[in-house]
Order: sequence, then C-alpha cells, then structure tokens
Amino acid sequence: MRLRTGAVAVLLALALTTGAQGAADGSSSIKIGGIFALTGPTSDVGVPYSEGVKAYVTYINGRGGIKGRKIDFISQDYAYNVARGEQLYSQLKSNGVVAIQGWGTADTEALRTRVNADRIPYMSASYAATLINAQETPYNFFVAPSYSTQMRIALRFIADQSKGQQTEVAVFHHDSPFGQSPLEDGKRYIQDKSLKLGYKTYTMAAGATDYTAQLTQVQSQGARWIIIQNVSTPAAALARDIARLGLNAKIVCLNWCGDEIFVGLAGRAAVGHYTVQPWGTTGLKVPGLKAPSAYLASRGKTLGVASLHFVQGWYTMAVMSKGIERVIASGKTVDGPNLKSALETMPKFSTGGVTPEVKFTPRTHEGLHSSRIFQVIRGRFRQVTGYRIP
Amino acid sequence: MSTFVQLTVTGLSNGAILALAALGFVLIYKSSAVINFAQGQFLLIGAYVVWALTADAGLHWSLAVLGAVLVAIVLGLLVERLILRPLVGQPIISVIMVTIGLAQVLGALVLIIWGTTPRAFPDFIPSDSVDLLGAQVGESRLWAIGLVGIALLAFALFFTRSRHGIAMRAVADDQQAALAMGISVRRVFALAWALAGVSAVVGGMLLASLVGVSSEISGFGLLVFPVVILGGLDSVLGAVVGGAVIGLLTTYTGGYVGGGLETVIPYVALVLILLVKPYGLFGQARIERV
Amino acid sequence: MAATTTGVYHTTYTADLALRHTKLEYVRLALTLAVVVVLPFVASPYWLTVLNQIGIAIVGAIGLNILVGYTGQISLGQGGFLAVGAYTAGIVATKTGASPLLGILAAVLATALVGAFFGLPALRLKGLYLAIATLASQQIIIWVITHWEFVTGGVDALVLEPVALFGWTITGDTQWYWVIAGFAGLATLVGTNLFRTGLGRAFVAIRDQDIAAEVVGVDPMRYKLLAFAVSSGFVGLAGALTAYWTQILTWERFTLDVSILYLAMIIVGGLGSISGAIYGAAFMIALPAYLQQLSFRFQGDSFFVSNLPALQLLIFGATIVLFLVFEPKGMARIWQRMKDYFRLWPFRY
Repeated sequence: MRLRTGAVAVLLALALTTGAQGAADGSSSIKIGGIFALTGPTSDVGVPYSEGVKAYVTYINGRGGIKGRKIDFISQDYAYNVARGEQLYSQLKSNGVVAIQGWGTADTEALRTRVNADRIPYMSASYAATLINAQETPYNFFVAPSYSTQMRIALRFIADQSKGQQTEVAVFHHDSPFGQSPLEDGKRYIQDKSLKLGYKTYTMAAGATDYTAQLTQVQSQGARWIIIQNVSTPAAALARDIARLGLNAKIVCLNWCGDEIFVGLAGRAAVGHYTVQPWGTTGLKVPGLKAPSAYLASRGKTLGVASLHFVQGWYTMAVMSKGIERVIASGKTVDGPNLKSALETMPKFSTGGVTPEVKFTPRTHEGLHSSRIFQVIRGRFRQVTGYRIP
Repeated sequence: MSTFVQLTVTGLSNGAILALAALGFVLIYKSSAVINFAQGQFLLIGAYVVWALTADAGLHWSLAVLGAVLVAIVLGLLVERLILRPLVGQPIISVIMVTIGLAQVLGALVLIIWGTTPRAFPDFIPSDSVDLLGAQVGESRLWAIGLVGIALLAFALFFTRSRHGIAMRAVADDQQAALAMGISVRRVFALAWALAGVSAVVGGMLLASLVGVSSEISGFGLLVFPVVILGGLDSVLGAVVGGAVIGLLTTYTGGYVGGGLETVIPYVALVLILLVKPYGLFGQARIERV
Repeated sequence: MAATTTGVYHTTYTADLALRHTKLEYVRLALTLAVVVVLPFVASPYWLTVLNQIGIAIVGAIGLNILVGYTGQISLGQGGFLAVGAYTAGIVATKTGASPLLGILAAVLATALVGAFFGLPALRLKGLYLAIATLASQQIIIWVITHWEFVTGGVDALVLEPVALFGWTITGDTQWYWVIAGFAGLATLVGTNLFRTGLGRAFVAIRDQDIAAEVVGVDPMRYKLLAFAVSSGFVGLAGALTAYWTQILTWERFTLDVSILYLAMIIVGGLGSISGAIYGAAFMIALPAYLQQLSFRFQGDSFFVSNLPALQLLIFGATIVLFLVFEPKGMARIWQRMKDYFRLWPFRY
C-alpha cells in the first residue's frame, strides 16, 4: 500500500546499514554472551554480579586469554523482563556466541528448551531446582546449591536451633518463578524428615512499600523464624519492618539477600539474622579472595564495597573459563557440546575457600551441594557454621 | 486489638503519603485541568535530591530539604512553561500522553544520574518505634500523618485567605472571567506546578524514609489515581480523605485477607467509584448527557 | 488546506469510494509491495525479528487507532487486552491442542468481549475519567492473570509448542514474516475499509460531536461498545500472534508500559489515520531496536552500554514529548506535507 512506503523505506535503510552479524571468528577469540539484570527488580544484586563476570573476563584477557585465545564478551541488560531476555538471547545467538552467562529464573526456565535445541551452554545466576537434571536440561548449569537445597539447609538449621520443639516458619518470597522455586520442595522436606516445623508462605509483591499487613498475619501465625527468598532490598525493608514492629523473629536469608547490601540497608534491624550463603562473604580470610581484591585494588576499589556478588560473578565465569580451557587443551573446537562435556567431566574446581569445591556430573548440573551459614554480628555477616548439607 | 491499631496507623500513614502525592495532582488539575501522569516521578526526584544533598554533598537535612524544594519548584516551572504551554487547546489524549512521556524522561534521568543501586535514606526523620495503644508503631509514620495534617491546614488557609489562593480558585472556576478580572492565568499555572513540586518533595521524602531511595518509589504514583477519583479530581479535602480511605482499605485487606489482593483492591475500588459516583466524594459534578 | 488529488474527477460513486485514485498512487502501492516482498531476503536475522515485531504491532496499533483516533475514546488498557488475546490463544494451544486458527478466532472473540465489557464505563465517562478507568482495567487484568494460576500459570511463563498449520510447522523468522505480513496486510485492509462503511462513519461522528450524532440517529451506547469490541478484536489478534510467534508467554509482556508504547505509536504516527498507525508502529519499535544494536558495537565500560535501558527510556519519552510539542498530528502529517510539497511545487499551496 502507498501507506507503508515511508516506514518500509526507513526500515530498509536501517537494515542495510547495520547488516548481518557474521559468525564468530573461530580461530582466535571466543565469543561469550551475557544476559544481565542491570536495571529493574533484581538490579541491586545484578549489577555487582555482572561486574564480577566482566571483571574476570578482563582479568583473564589481561593474562593472555585462555591458552592464548581471548574472550570476546558481549552482554546487555534485560531488566529482569522475560520478553527482553528472550530477545537478547536470539540476538546473542545470531551473534555467534558459544556459551552464555545468564541471570534470572523466569527467563532461564523459559529459555531452557531453546538453549537445549541450540546447544548453547547456559550458566545462570538462577539456582532453580528445575535446571539441575541433565536429562531434562542438558545445557543448563549453575555454580551453587539450588534454591531447594538452600531451603532444606535452612529448614534443618531452624529445626536444630529449635531443639526439637514445634516451631512456626514463615517464608517470604519474591513474586516470581525465582521466589516460588524452593517453596514446594521446602514443604516436602519437612514432611519427609518429619521435622516439627509449621510452614506458611507469603508473597512479597513488587513495589510494596511496607510489609506490616503481612507481618501481622505472621504474628498470628506465631512464627519465630522467617526465611526470605528474595533479593537484598526488599529483604532489608522487611527486616526494618520486623524491627519496627518489635517482632521476635529471626530471619534466614537464602543466598540472594544474605550480603553487605542487606546489612547496609537494614542497619540496626539486621542484627542477629542469619543467611544460608554458599558464597563466602568478603570478610572471610580465604586465599580465593586474593585475585578479585587485587583486581579491584588496581582499579581503586575495595571488595567490601563491590560486595560478595562480585566474587560470585567472578568465580562463575572462572568455572566456565576452566571448561573452555579443557576443551582447548584436548584439541577440540570450542563449541557448545564440547564445552558441555568438558564441564561435566571436569575434576573438582577449587575457588580457594570462597565456596566448597565445584563439581558437575553428567547427571546433575548443580555445582555445589552445601553451604555455610552466617550471622550478622557487630555489623557484618560472620561465619557461624561449617559447610552444611540438607 | 493491637493488630487493628497497627494496621490502622500503617494504613493512615500510607494514606497520608498518598494524600501528599495526590495534593500536587489536584492542584495541577484544579487550576489547569491537566492530568499529571508524572506525579510518581516527581516523588522520586524529591526523594533522590534530598538524599543526594544529605548523603553525597553532606548538607544538613534542613538545607537539603530546602534545596529539594527549590529544585522541585524550578522543575515544576520548567515543565509548565516548556511542555504544557505549547499544548494548550490540544485534545486531552495529547496532554495525557505528554505527561506520560515526561514521566519516562524524568525516570530515565534519575536512573542515569544516580544509577539503580537502592540507597538508605538519611536518618533525620526519626524511625524508632513508639508504643501506641499496645501496638508498636514507627515514629516516621506518625510524622507522616502529622505533616499531612499541617499541609491540609496550610492549603485550606491558602485557598481561603491568601490572594494567590483565591486567584487559583478563580482560574479553576472560569479562566475567561479570571483574565477579565486582571488575574494572570499564566502565573497561576506556574504557581500550581510549583506547589505540586513542593508537595511531591515532602511526600517523596517520607516515602523514601520508609522504603529506601530507589526507583520503586515512582510506582507509588499510580496509586494516586484511585485516591483522586475517590476524593474528586479538584478537591483538596477529597485528596486527603481519599488517601486515608485507600490507605486503610489496602492495609486492612493485606492484614485480614492477604493473598495479594491488596495490590489490586484500589483499582477495583476505583472502577466501582467511577460507575457509581464518577466525580468522587467531593468533586464538582459536571452535567453532561450520554 | 493542500489539495492532494487535484485534477481528479469522479463520475461514479464507486470511483469516489475507491482507495486509490491516480496512477501514481498505484505505482507507489506496487513499489511498497515489492519492498515488503524483498525485505526478508536482505534483512539480517536481528532485523527480521524486529520486522516481525513491527508487523504484530501494526495490527495492534490499527486496533487502538480505531478506538482512540477514529472514535475519540481513550484507552490505557491496551496491554491488558493484548494479554487476554495472547493467553486465550496460549491456553487453547496448550490445553486443547486445537488448530492455531481456532486459537486466533478464540482470542479475537474473547478480547472483543472483554473489551466491550471494559468499555462500559465509556458510556458514562469521558476524556480523562475514561483514561483512568482503562488504567484500572489494565492493572486488574494483569492481576487476574498473575493470580489465576489454574488457568494462566500465574507468574510462571506459559510455553507453547511451535505452531503447525495444516501439517506445516512454521519455523524461523522468515516463515513467520510471511504469516505476520499477511495478517498485517489483512488488518490494514479491514481497517481502511471500515471507514468506508456506515459503522466507521458512525465512529467518526461520535468522536466529532457525540451529542449531535445522537440527534442524527447514531446510538452512542451501541456504537461506543462496538468501537471497543472491534478495536479489541484487532488487539486480540495481535496478542494471539505474539503468543504463537514468541512461544513464551509471561505477564511482563503486557504491562502498563506496553499500553503506553501503543499509545505512543499512534500519537507519534498520527491519530485517526491507518497509515499513521503503521508509521508509528514501525518507528517506535525500530528506534529502541536500533539503539540496542548500536550498543553491541560499543561493548566495554562506555556510558552508552551501562545506561542503555535508561537511554532507551529517555529517548522514548523525549520522542513522545517532542512530537506532541512540535508536530501533534504525527508522522502521517509530516509525510502528507512532504507529498504536498512535491505535488504543488513550485507553488507553496
């Protein structure tokens, strides 16, 4: 129609100027994609994580790359929006990336069939239990105990702390697949192990300004323990509301809210709360923190300010790097299926004490299976237990 | 009983903040018949500027608030002059869309200047707990209720006693007649936007002291609509009453019913009000057939 | 006012009502069709995806324009109606496995019904009250979708199987391009023809002077509801296409931001004009896509990359504001002025 000439001409011009994106240059650099949440709901933890991933790439490229081959890392923000994440994935794919560092549960779960069909190893910051089984999701990996495993560890800790008495537990979670991921498994764990724990879930709506209304329900439930499956900012707001109401309840944060951001935002309200944090806090004196803090120091920053999620991103990328190194060492081309088997057959990868040793198997792609528990004492999360399993 | 007190105080204080945001909205509508979809972003800018002046520049909080008020006034004046004035006489959809566009621009500017990391609001609004009838209540919430009461009183006096306030009411009533009486309609518009900016700063500040300084605050702006529809788009008293009602309704639903219903109940209430009493409790009804 | 088809005399009613009057217009039409046909072969994969998005948006924008531009009603509930169409199609596909055509039909009908229902306040309210009512309907629809887990899966994504039509599975963006272009063309044709019928003229009458229209015999109640229903039907089609094309449905695709995006499309494109809807849809989708493509070139710590979403938002908002302040009638008007300039040269008017 005459009506469309203008619009179509514009599009034609755009299409021709930007042109087709060619496939990766196979002989020198290795293309890796990154889908990060730099704005939007989980950006408070997403930004430091992404910086850690990119920092590791810069670090390894600065040392000559992986066996002489540099990493070409292309990443973008998807604002925790599944539609945008999916679009970004298509773009990265057409850009010829070999593997992807992903982020959120909702989009990783939504993309798993495509990732499988496209055979692109996808290492996510989502630790949902649905991504573990290598039969169902052969190309999804994550370097952590799953949310369900963390939930089980938390419940057992609470049961131990209650010394066998009947205790009520309230579970506050993000309103999304990420938040809902461990809920069912938690309930089942209580039944399987016959733990004397009451279990009630509460949704933390996005944009909620206070949780007073739900906390009054928690009061009537009589809960003494509150598990939070959410990121730091809403968790800190919840902690402040708990303190304000004078509620006698202890928080156990799962990994995404147990960090410096939580302590900083909650201030006095954070004292005495726990976290199941598989990634060591930046206050730990472990050799694994040397490399990232040296890197940050050379840029005039400190680890404490960058937060533990920086280290998390750093080592997640390091694991993928190790897999790539093994593929190159064995003389094969660096592509999806080869990287997948390299990761699955890798010997235990040490992060220098930041986490337990990382190990995938051809059956499960859950990199870690245990976690330390930390408590806020004198203004910081400090380790109170060794590595615990469910 | 203490649950009830708890919920009531929370509901009233949330409602008070809503009322502050709604006050700015009503002022703009009352004088220039423009719906400001960017009210949430005004709240956001208010909160961030106060935070930036206190935490970043290290000023005393009174100076920071003053600074934020100045920024809000300037912003209001700029918006009125550069964006709304060229749109006089355009169909209402255009005016609505331009404020929506403005909302996006302001939100984006805040993101660019201050980034996405949420920040803790400086502690000058006391946030300790106070015992009220057996329930623990945050002091900042009581402050919110108090401030709104003062604001209401101030506006009531302004509109009835001061010349500028009466001029504003005149312009809202009939622009032509006001012009004929020698009232500068342009100045009245500018004043309305400036005052809206001020109420946004105070509202944003209070909100940030409760939830922290982050882009979440602008989402609060959408809740202003049920408030002003309930109270009446051109009534200051309506904004306050509407705020209280919506605040209480949301909190009671959250506390006694739960299940996420509290996020949608203001909008259901809005639709019901529109079907039953579209001009709200205190709004001026316009006679129109069909 | 510029005369666009001077020197053209009609001698029959049919000739008067025709969509094209001069030979030049037919030539332009042929050129456009040629470009549409050639495009998928020259565009890169990324831009092909964008073109598909534009095609779907064209369907939705035409629907919204019928409601806002031609009937003068305001609707901020576009996102919610898209969601109704998409989820209807998605649920039909996943729960019953029926043919996608049936899914599309169900989506169109369901959305038309829901649209008519939420159009009921339009009978009593006008202008901004209607805008606010539709805003509420948007929020309510999204809430229902995220909480009606039994039917929609709640906050989880609804994943669809690839669409198969008469045994032929549509795979890849190029194949989808033909399907979507087909539907977009159909929507354009129906939209343009709508305003040659009595129904369309009734809509315009309501926009211009609804009280006078009633006097002349146009029942506002009936036609306003019909406007909502027809417009929502188009939107439902767009939603169903979104569901089948992306195969991953989440509520995040249908938030208030999407409603605002569609309104921006028709305002930037030009209210009350089908071609305006098309230009606006293309522009408002291509612009952020182009920015994103640019940012891939500038990897690294540059300001552009780390602030991309904020910049996209900024440019989006600025586009709306600038168009409304400087050219309120949108791109259609700009195009019209360009054509008039050449047609009337060397005269000014």
